[in-house]
Amino acid sequence: MNRRIPPVAMERRRVIAVIGATALGAIAGISLSGRARAKMPISRWHGLALGAKAEIAIVHEDAAAARRILKRCIDEVRRLERIFSLFDPVSELVRLNARGRLAAPSHDLVALLSSAQRFGALTGGAFDVTVQPLWRLMALHFRGGGTKALAGPDRRRIETAARLVDYRGIELGRARVAFAREGMAVTLNGIAQGYITDRVADLLREEGLGSVLISLGEFRAAGTHPSGRPWAVGLARPGDRRTLFHRVQLSNEAIATSAGAGLKFDPSGRHHHILDPATGVSAMRHASVSVIARQATDADALSTALSVAPWAQAPRLLAAVGARRAIALGFDGRVREAHA
Amino acid sequence: MGWLRAGLLASLIVFSAQARGADGAGEFARAQVLAVFPGAERVGPITGTPPAATVYAKGKRAGYVFSSLAVIGSTGYSGKPLDVLIGLDLSGRITGAKLIAHQEPILVIGIATRDLEAFVARFRGIDARGRIEVGGRSKPGQVGIDGVSGATVSSLVIADTIVRSARKVARAKGVFGSGGGSRLDIDKFKPLDWPGLIALGGIVRRRITNAEVDRELERSGADPPGGRAANASFIELYAGLATPAMVGRNLLGQRAYNRLLADRRAGEQFIFIGASGLYSFKGTAYRTKGIFDRIQIVQGTRTLRLTAGQHVRLDELAIDGDPALREMAYFKLPSTMGFDPVKPWRLELLVTRPRGDATLAVARFALAYRPPPTLVIGSPPTARATRPLWKQIWIRRTADIAVLVVALIALTAIVFFQDQIEQRPRLYRGIRFAFLGFTVVWLGWWAGAQLSVVHVLSFTQALLTGFHWELFLLEPLIFILWSYVAVTMLFWGRGVFCGWLCPFGALQELSNHIARALKVPQLTLPWGLHERLWPIKYILFLGILAVSLGSISLAVYGAEVEPFKTAIVLHFLRAWPYVLYVGLLLLAGLFVERVFCRYLCPLGGALALPARLRMFEWLKRRPECGQPCQTCAIICTVQAIHPEGQINPNECIHCLHCQIVYYNDQMCPPLIECRKRNARQLARGANDITGKPSPGGAL
Repeated sequence: MNRRIPPVAMERRRVIAVIGATALGAIAGISLSGRARAKMPISRWHGLALGAKAEIAIVHEDAAAARRILKRCIDEVRRLERIFSLFDPVSELVRLNARGRLAAPSHDLVALLSSAQRFGALTGGAFDVTVQPLWRLMALHFRGGGTKALAGPDRRRIETAARLVDYRGIELGRARVAFAREGMAVTLNGIAQGYITDRVADLLREEGLGSVLISLGEFRAAGTHPSGRPWAVGLARPGDRRTLFHRVQLSNEAIATSAGAGLKFDPSGRHHHILDPATGVSAMRHASVSVIARQATDADALSTALSVAPWAQAPRLLAAVGARRAIALGFDGRVREAHA
Repeated sequence: MGWLRAGLLASLIVFSAQARGADGAGEFARAQVLAVFPGAERVGPITGTPPAATVYAKGKRAGYVFSSLAVIGSTGYSGKPLDVLIGLDLSGRITGAKLIAHQEPILVIGIATRDLEAFVARFRGIDARGRIEVGGRSKPGQVGIDGVSGATVSSLVIADTIVRSARKVARAKGVFGSGGGSRLDIDKFKPLDWPGLIALGGIVRRRITNAEVDRELERSGADPPGGRAANASFIELYAGLATPAMVGRNLLGQRAYNRLLADRRAGEQFIFIGASGLYSFKGTAYRTKGIFDRIQIVQGTRTLRLTAGQHVRLDELAIDGDPALREMAYFKLPSTMGFDPVKPWRLELLVTRPRGDATLAVARFALAYRPPPTLVIGSPPTARATRPLWKQIWIRRTADIAVLVVALIALTAIVFFQDQIEQRPRLYRGIRFAFLGFTVVWLGWWAGAQLSVVHVLSFTQALLTGFHWELFLLEPLIFILWSYVAVTMLFWGRGVFCGWLCPFGALQELSNHIARALKVPQLTLPWGLHERLWPIKYILFLGILAVSLGSISLAVYGAEVEPFKTAIVLHFLRAWPYVLYVGLLLLAGLFVERVFCRYLCPLGGALALPARLRMFEWLKRRPECGQPCQTCAIICTVQAIHPEGQINPNECIHCLHCQIVYYNDQMCPPLIECRKRNARQLARGANDITGKPSPGGAL
């Protein structure tokens, strides 16, 4: 793998929202788009988490406590970015990708790679964090633009890159992580944002915010949290954020959405960021897939996996991690649901 | 550098600085800046929010100078603007403070402005982060400053003003740094056993059961293990910062701790970790790979890994009562790791188990540590310190408040059960003298809770210029007393206050009683003269009130007609003319009971004005009262009973003397008459024994 190639930063239309409310705050009611209905102070942070727009909102009757909690959350986001970022030249992930091995990995990297390998095994490789060589190939190919690029990268180069994709090639230990083959690389894009939001949610719960909603995804619409009832989140069609095709109720759960259109390599949308590790090209099964699970990491990984894997596998995959439900929007506009 | 013209109009400059601070047009006068920031060479314009001027010394930025009025809009106890010019250096210390403008009424007389200026000057050199306790003692984490005696509340308000302004500027300018300027108290020590250390929070612990670990590992995809007791400890983990003597010396013993400190590098910290149970937190990787792969420390944005080089094994502890720990160590954290000892951190434990496919299942547990507040010096102001000043004062005076409330309940009971008490003259006398003694000694001399016409003036001012409860809440006892007086005035008139709760009134009555006991002849003023002296107090009150509408400070001079401050609040420690005045009043009081109350008291006048509004009339009279009987009129402490017999509610102080007579068949002539008649009837052998007349009824 050529180490001189600069990282390719592409904007992904992903938005992460973590909302925590105290018992009082939950009664006051808050909408995902931001307006509290009662006069409950909301402390809010907008920023980026691993390249995605992120928002943390805290509904707390004590504004000073909310600010302190928010500061803790932001610190935690920054701490984990230092580990998982593909763009921070000294992050653990960049060092691992660059050298093919890493001594003394943080517990967080060990834990996340452990999850990644588990999802790899569960999905038979449909979810694979070692897809980074393919991803990089795509990104570099389309960066130039032009008509020649439209056909996609050269077949042979895709095959070369695809041979490096195998989650089983990560040798994971507590004291050392290494790749089995030279040129392998990991991207945690499909899972690390989930992991970060889980940690933030843990922190909020630890601070006594009993009602926590996590939403990760390319498309989500304003949901509201009416007093006493679960959060309501609307799922929007790709490319049209105002048309909701589905509504879901969440209570202390996470919802993650993956959609190819969230990051397209080319204007046609035929080449996008959800790559099928088996074929080496972008997956075209669904317009978008949303998964609801207790843990954002699980929801995040499964929404990616179910974009690639056959839909028939959905109930088994959901059950394996204790996730509740998956919703897929087809290119024909059909909505399919699967339950654990 | 262009200096603004000299500082005679300093407060005016401050006002303009406040108004124009945002665009940076204002400047402080050089003389003023030098007064609060010695060594200042150059001063920039007043800029920013909050508005402050940067001070330069030796060519470098050295600190800031600012006006409390501009920074926090400070007001004094008077409710009028209070302005203190404050200097702050880059280490967060106050370089000086100077009183620029104030209108504290209590200070206008009795206490010179220079006393207040001296008080303000005492803030030089004080760290703005620390707790400052006016009238308190200095101890670690707290600086005591002597207040101005007799002006306690003003002192508190001014101290609050200085500290709050300095903190606001320091925070805005980043003087306090990220850690809020707090640091670890390494030296503080007290012998503690293990439970004591746990109770202090110096060592934190977490027990993790097999069941918890198995659940987490299964969630991560591991197969369920077999045959382990679910509730048994997988690990019992202990951790804490060992750098402070309170923790390290207790754990390691004095010698080992001293050795540790002797080798300590600058900024180095020590973390103790110990455990018992099945699982080893150390593992073996530190021997082979140099890294402790089962633990990590997380603080803020940092993830810290511990290496073999940082590890010092411990085999036993010097502390009493420690559990038998299987593994113990302390880890040295060099300052380069960026670990901040005064901030919270957590110890994270990693447990792994191979899955069926040989990948690793992972479980993680965290043990949170927060430095005990007692081991942190200059903690950023806590909730307690940032409470509104009035709440702080109420909390400080809880005991006094409790005593006063009990006394007021007792007084209310006296008024409610007056009929029962009045029928027992000896009980009444005991209660009366005890209560008056309490009012003089505790309420007056000890607590300084003497209501004054000045309060009426500031209340009126507040109503006219904007009412703030906070202003009145600053003196809890006065506040409670006034609330009580307001209610009792509505119920029974002003007498309940004047006769029972006014320390100076009580002092007069008690001194007069002593004089009587010593056979000092009493002077009775002819009714006509007496009645014509009454209006003086009303005129005085109205005059003072009128003046206060123009100038409150002038009105406060006028309020000096009250001897309260001299005799009660300041314990006679005042310039001789004041003491002479009080002495004359008390001397006159020996011959004419409560002479000041009768004719001069402007507060009494103020309270008497609405006296006719009272709802209850519980003082009883007989038809014979005044016609012809004058017994009560003579015995009345303030001669409030007209020769015609009715009690003048404007003058009555509710002392209940007349009621004692009313019930006493040795004193009340109609009753005496009745008693004699009964005795005669009895002597005649009649069986009519109506010994007591029906109250108020004709005999």
